[in-house]
Amino acid sequence: MGGGAMPEQGGGGGKRKKKALDAVINVVPAIDLLSCCISFLLFTAVWTQISRLQVQQLGTGAPEPQITEQQKTLMVTLAMGERGFNLSTSSGTTLDIPILGRGSAGELRFDLKLLGEKLKQLKGDYPDTSSITVSAEDTVSYGDLVQVIDACVGSGLPAVSVTGV
Amino acid sequence: MPIVTPGKRPAKRFEKSRILGGKMGRGHKSLNAELNVVPMVDMMTMLVIFLLQQFSSTGEVLYMQKDIKLPDAQHGQMIEVAPVVAISAQQVVVTGVKVADIPDLDRDSGYLNIPALEERLRDEKKRWEFIHKVDPDSKWDGVVNIQADKAVPFRIVKRVMYSCGVAGYFNVNFAALDAGSTAAAGVAEKPAG
Repeated sequence: MGGGAMPEQGGGGGKRKKKALDAVINVVPAIDLLSCCISFLLFTAVWTQISRLQVQQLGTGAPEPQITEQQKTLMVTLAMGERGFNLSTSSGTTLDIPILGRGSAGELRFDLKLLGEKLKQLKGDYPDTSSITVSAEDTVSYGDLVQVIDACVGSGLPAVSVTGV
Repeated sequence: MPIVTPGKRPAKRFEKSRILGGKMGRGHKSLNAELNVVPMVDMMTMLVIFLLQQFSSTGEVLYMQKDIKLPDAQHGQMIEVAPVVAISAQQVVVTGVKVADIPDLDRDSGYLNIPALEERLRDEKKRWEFIHKVDPDSKWDGVVNIQADKAVPFRIVKRVMYSCGVAGYFNVNFAALDAGSTAAAGVAEKPAG
C-alpha cells in the first residue's frame, strides 16, 4: 500500500540492520473522500451545455429598450423569409442575400456566412451600432431564427429585437 | 473488539510473553493480503476531475426532451433560472404542464395570444411576487426561457412570445445547444475509421 519500491539497503557490508525508510500512507480516508465527491458530482453533473440568446420582442407592451443618441443614428433591420435576407439600414442601404436553395426535406438553406460577413462589415462602418431588429416570416423555422440571432450577436450586435412581418 | 486472524492464538495473558506468546503462530502463513489501491485512487482522481469539469453551479435549468431538438449557437450566454416554455412539434408545455396543442394553434391562427399559456405564466408571476414581496430590492426582470424544436415555425414561436409579453415576460431567452459541447459530442459519436 502506498506504492514505492524498497530503497537499497546499502552495500550489504554493514552489520547493523538499517531501519526501513518507507512510510506507509493510509489512503483509506482519501478513497472515502473521493467516493463521496464522485457520488455528489455524478448527481449534480450537467451533461448538456445549453446556452441562451437574449432577445427583445417588439409590440407587446414591453418597456422599450433604452437607446442612446449614438445608437439612434443607425437602425438596422434584417428581414428573413423564403427569398432570403434583406438587410436594410436607416441610412438607406439595402442588401439582398438570396437563399442557397432548399435541403432534402424542403427546408430553406440561408447564406449565414455571407450574412455574417455583411454584418461585420456594417459593424466596422458603424462601430457605435449595437442593436438590430430581426423581422421573420411565419414560415421561418426556430432553428434558422436562432442561427441568425447567433450571427448577429457574433458580429457585435448583441441587442437583438425580434418581430414578425 | 478488534478483528483478529482466524485460527489458534495464545491466551490473552501469554500474548506478550516471549516464550509462550509466539509458539502458536510459528509456521503459519499470514492470512492478510495486501491490496494495491493506488490504481483505484488514480482512477477516482481522474473521475473527480472530469466530473468537476461537468459541474454547473446553476444546475440543470432546461431538460433535454426527446421530441425537442435544439439548434446550435456559438455566441450564447449561460442559461439562467426562469420559467421554461417548451415547444415541440405537438404541444406547448410550461414548466411541465401542457397548455396547448400545436394543431389547435394552427387551426385558430387568427388569434395571436394563447390564453392558457398566459394564465399559466401569470400564475408563475404571482408566485414570484409572493415570494419576493418582503424583499424590496428584488426587481421583476420578466425573463422567460423558450426551448423549441428547431423545426417549429416562427408563427408558433411568435404567438408564444406575444403571450409571454402580455403576461409580463418581455425578456425572452431562446435556448440553444452550446456549439462547443456539440462539437465534442460529435467527435465522440463519430465512428472510428
